[in-house]
Amino acid sequence: MSDQLIGILSFPVLLTMIFLRVPIGLSMFVTGLIGLILVTDGTQVPFGRLKSETFTTFSSYSLSIIPMFLLMGHFATLGGMSQALFKAAESFLGHRKGGVAMAAVGACAGFGAICGSSLATAATMGRVALPELRRYGYDGGFSTAALAAGGTLGILIPPSIVLVIYAILTEQNIAKLFLAAFIPGIIAALGYVLAISIYVRIYPDSAGLRARVPYGARFAALVKIWPVMLVFLAVVGGIYAGWFTPTEGAAVGALGTGLIAWGNGGLTRASLADSFIVTARSTAMIFFIILGAAFYNGFLALTQVPQGIAEWVGTSGFSPYMILILILVFYLILGCFMDSLSMILLTIPIFWPVMQGLDFGFVSMLDLHMARAWEAMAAAPDITPRVLDGLREVFASGGVPDTAQASAVAAIQTHFEAEPGMIESVFQTLAAGEELTRDQIRALELRRLNQGALNGINSELIAIWFGILVLIVVEVGLITPPVGMNLFIINAMEKTTKLTDTYKAVMFFVASDLARVVLLMVFPVITLMFITW
Amino acid sequence: MHRVFLILSRIMAIAGGVMLAALILLTVYSVLARALDRLFHAMIGADMAPGLARWMIDAGVGPLLGTYEVLEAGIAFVIFAFLPICQITGGHATVDIFTAQMSEGANRVLRGVTEVIFAAVLVLIAVQLYGGMMSKLNSGQVTLELAFPVWWSYAISLLGAVLAALVAVYLACVRAVEMVTGRVVLPADLGAEH
Repeated sequence: MSDQLIGILSFPVLLTMIFLRVPIGLSMFVTGLIGLILVTDGTQVPFGRLKSETFTTFSSYSLSIIPMFLLMGHFATLGGMSQALFKAAESFLGHRKGGVAMAAVGACAGFGAICGSSLATAATMGRVALPELRRYGYDGGFSTAALAAGGTLGILIPPSIVLVIYAILTEQNIAKLFLAAFIPGIIAALGYVLAISIYVRIYPDSAGLRARVPYGARFAALVKIWPVMLVFLAVVGGIYAGWFTPTEGAAVGALGTGLIAWGNGGLTRASLADSFIVTARSTAMIFFIILGAAFYNGFLALTQVPQGIAEWVGTSGFSPYMILILILVFYLILGCFMDSLSMILLTIPIFWPVMQGLDFGFVSMLDLHMARAWEAMAAAPDITPRVLDGLREVFASGGVPDTAQASAVAAIQTHFEAEPGMIESVFQTLAAGEELTRDQIRALELRRLNQGALNGINSELIAIWFGILVLIVVEVGLITPPVGMNLFIINAMEKTTKLTDTYKAVMFFVASDLARVVLLMVFPVITLMFITW
Repeated sequence: MHRVFLILSRIMAIAGGVMLAALILLTVYSVLARALDRLFHAMIGADMAPGLARWMIDAGVGPLLGTYEVLEAGIAFVIFAFLPICQITGGHATVDIFTAQMSEGANRVLRGVTEVIFAAVLVLIAVQLYGGMMSKLNSGQVTLELAFPVWWSYAISLLGAVLAALVAVYLACVRAVEMVTGRVVLPADLGAEH
């Protein structure tokens, strides 16, 4: 049997094991181990790997962010912040049609900003919002569905544990991924609010009304959520501003939420021990999957299967968007049976090389030349991008620069000690929609304008865009029957509601999710607008 | 027997949690120290209370050396220490939608086989971790900045790995007995109480 065949056959074996309820991490580990034994003819290589690989997998600076975020999320649930968030959102939205449910979604979004896990977000907000929803006559199936959907904002809005794992697997910058997830996260929350308002118009009996809250009380409620804002700004803002690494950000966040919980009296010795135990369980579960995935992917890489698939897809002639759609549909289906983290760990090492090889044409060589030339020229004294844009327009229309513009050109020329006419020619070339010539590039002292640099930029943009799309489709799995974990968790809290009622109502939110996937796929700029390259 | 392992696992998990908390404090401290260092140097540069700034820097307020190394060593202990509690409370992620339709007998067999494989794997991991520790001990490798022996980190990690292996072997024995005799010793869903 060739190595590649062994690699391919390992998929059905692995899936069979997983579907026979063998823990997912264990399935991947065992498949990888046996595969390695077969491919390398003996136990020497795999057992030798184990001597250091388990340790190095667990002893990872970047992965240490996971237990810290988990602990942070748990402290956040102890801190009473969920109550404050819900009250604030309710005072602004509660009097609208379906407003209390909208408030629950809004509070979930707020909570998602300090908690990286969907299940924790759903469970915590469920405890706070469900009694309130019942009080105002909201239908059980509708309430539970709204909260289950709202909970998925936990992983979408940064910080997000799944995004951390994705960033590590694809070797991307965590800060950029967090930044990219922000707008889609807000769109998600708005989409759910829209789904709620449509639902209550189709089924007017499903929601009661609540009195309007005066503005003074609204702002009083808003002020109470300052600790959440502070922690979120410190963690996500700090990571993005480069004050600290993502791991340090997670540590700051864990300490911050810990202090909030302590300040609110939620953190006692017993609840601290309990937080450790809960964090321990989820951390160990995640890391065992990471270990299994590392082992399995090590084996797969040796069989050359991922490269083979990427090559095959590259030469198959399918359009890039077709392939992307197929992958996303695959995630939607698999998401009905499997949890998001396992799916990402299992499939990204196979799908990422495929995606990386596709050309979505985000940035062209011309864009790159233009951007780098602009950056370089803006470094000259008194030159702003606005001045540069003005100059390009003048040259594009074939006009003559006015005095101010002429002096700007002169300033740039002096800055670069360029020959007379060179700067004008740069503008003429770019205005004509052409790439810069070798001489022009040298005159502006531009570097890294080759194909390699361009591929790097496009690959990063694809990674970020694909990551956010995948994050959304795997998160849909949390609220789709038959095994949507969020549905179970919330439904279990509301004993009188049948699971099928939750299923029915959640379809509105699933539809909102799918619409969002299409929106983000058709307009990559929504995800990528803040990403600098 | 079950109680003993459960209590041991809980103690191990809490020890891991305390270590995690310590690492968090250390990391935050290093962030603060770095920020202050930058502030004091900026103060000297801008001639704002340079005496105070110089005094603080001389007093040892500055970036902490080797935080990264301590974090990596400590986090390995944390993760290994977290394994036993996950094992004994059945916390691993599974897909049980298909097995839910199968008979109780078939499920018993699956549980038995799975736990035996799991125990074998965790024993293998612990044994190989010990092997890894011995080779680091013999090579005398030390970390870059703080120069503490690498095998120390392996040694503390081994504690959790060994307990996890013991717990897994115990669970495998229980499930094997259940598989053969058909008697129910432990509930199928160990995590139900959590």
